[in-house]
Amino acid sequence: MMLETADREQDVFGAISHPARRRMLDLLVEGDRSVKGIAGHFEMSRPAVSQHLRILLDAGLVSEKRQGRERHYRLVPEQLAPVREWIAHYEQFWDDRLQRLQQHLSKKGQK
Amino acid sequence: MTDAIRREILIPQPQEQVWQAIADSESLAEWMFPNDFEPRIGHQFTFHVPPNPKVNFEGLVVECEVLECSPPELLSFSWSAGGPVQDTRVTFQLVPASEGTRILFEHTGFDLSHPFGEHAFKGAGAGWTNMLKQLTSVVADRAAGR
Repeated sequence: MMLETADREQDVFGAISHPARRRMLDLLVEGDRSVKGIAGHFEMSRPAVSQHLRILLDAGLVSEKRQGRERHYRLVPEQLAPVREWIAHYEQFWDDRLQRLQQHLSKKGQK
Repeated sequence: MTDAIRREILIPQPQEQVWQAIADSESLAEWMFPNDFEPRIGHQFTFHVPPNPKVNFEGLVVECEVLECSPPELLSFSWSAGGPVQDTRVTFQLVPASEGTRILFEHTGFDLSHPFGEHAFKGAGAGWTNMLKQLTSVVADRAAGR
């Protein structure tokens, strides 16, 4: 069960490791889009775009819906939680350090 | 979504004083960790995060190299702590303000494809996430003066 969680998280991190896929997520933040609507923003071929979308889909970061002959994609932002948590550890670390820097300086100022 | 940590803080002290606190080995030891920092580009140094047996944390050595050093404005060094945190970049930018100094802090370059890689959930739960949790409590302990 622990391992499943790790695998799922691995998928999410892997999915956003590619700049093109991060850009796709950025586009979907603005609203749902068709493959065509997404492909228009990229130089790559349509199959390449579809392959990237497949990876996002497998990681659960986007959902897919057929509308007539077209597939529409929607962002599933909740799936980014592991990334947020991971970054949060570091933010906590630096928040603490920066607070200590402030203390260090105010102590010096009193001398 | 972001793979960067950014913070902006305002400190009442003048720029020169803040620079002394971030670009001096002794001062850095006081609010960061013991180190052999020197304020010149290309200098390689390490931070030694001390062990804390209480929380089963073995300590950590962070490998760094000074990338930019323009007193009293800009200090930037690489930050490699292993696993997904390899060749990340820590930057302090100091901007004079009427009420003191603004510190623009940034930590960028996390390898988001690899955070739960080798370290992840292997062995007796000694994952990276765990280690960071422990690191956080070590830090809290130190801050509390224990």
